[in-house]
Amino acid sequence: MRFMIIIKATPDSEKGIFPDEKLLTEMGKFNEELVAAGIMLAGEGLQASSKGARVHFSGSKRTVTDGPFAETKELVAGFWIWQCKSIEDAIEWVKRCPNPFNEESEIEIRQVFELEDFGSELPAEVRESEERLRAELISRQK
Amino acid sequence: MRFMMLMIPKGYESAAPDTMPSAETVSAMMKYNESLKKAGILLALDGLHPPSTGARVTFPDGKPHVTDGPFAEVKEVLGGYWMIQVRSREEAIEWAKRCPASPNETIEIRQVQELADFPPDVQKAAAGYAEMQPHARKAS
Repeated sequence: MRFMIIIKATPDSEKGIFPDEKLLTEMGKFNEELVAAGIMLAGEGLQASSKGARVHFSGSKRTVTDGPFAETKELVAGFWIWQCKSIEDAIEWVKRCPNPFNEESEIEIRQVFELEDFGSELPAEVRESEERLRAELISRQK
Repeated sequence: MRFMMLMIPKGYESAAPDTMPSAETVSAMMKYNESLKKAGILLALDGLHPPSTGARVTFPDGKPHVTDGPFAEVKEVLGGYWMIQVRSREEAIEWAKRCPASPNETIEIRQVQELADFPPDVQKAAAGYAEMQPHARKAS
């Protein structure tokens, strides 16, 4: 099972404040553990929402709003994609993660949809198209 | 430049654990995904199960505290994402506008941090991180 581990934004991350060396070293060690355990698939940090935008959809109309966005607590500061045996396993790993910021912070754990989750409801051509897309993305990364 | 397009579907914060997108929705999205792939800009994409099947970990006193989903008082949650490689923020916004999204959905566009964005001391401390990922990043 794959999980998305979402590191939520904080006032500091939204200000674009960089983590200090101590935290970076701790995070580096934790990342190494994830790699050694074979669970890390990807991980990225995002620039502050002040540099971002939002697109709202209404019929054929598209409205673009520039950042920053007010709900700081719900914004994403960064994420990992992990391969774990269960959500309990993912939670255990998150508990061992160093507090990602030098202030109160939150990490959300969400299971990723796999093609198998859709069962037979999905038309064969959509399933094949999805399989082809995934295979191509993986081959491009190599 | 790499950008993340974050799909934020209104109502997903309180969706039942077995909520799935319909075959029609998936078909329409697959056409869009194919167009991103054909343009050579798609790096990764995933959909997420509802937050009612998820969990949150906070560190209020330095120790981890676990809360099971759904998360009360949360106004917006993530439903999925695309990671794309484009030349500018404007190009990323143009691609987001072409998504066959519903009126309850919002797409947030955020630039991904590259090592070169960090000050030299941070770059030094983070050296080797890119190589740790089996899905190695593309040069930007």
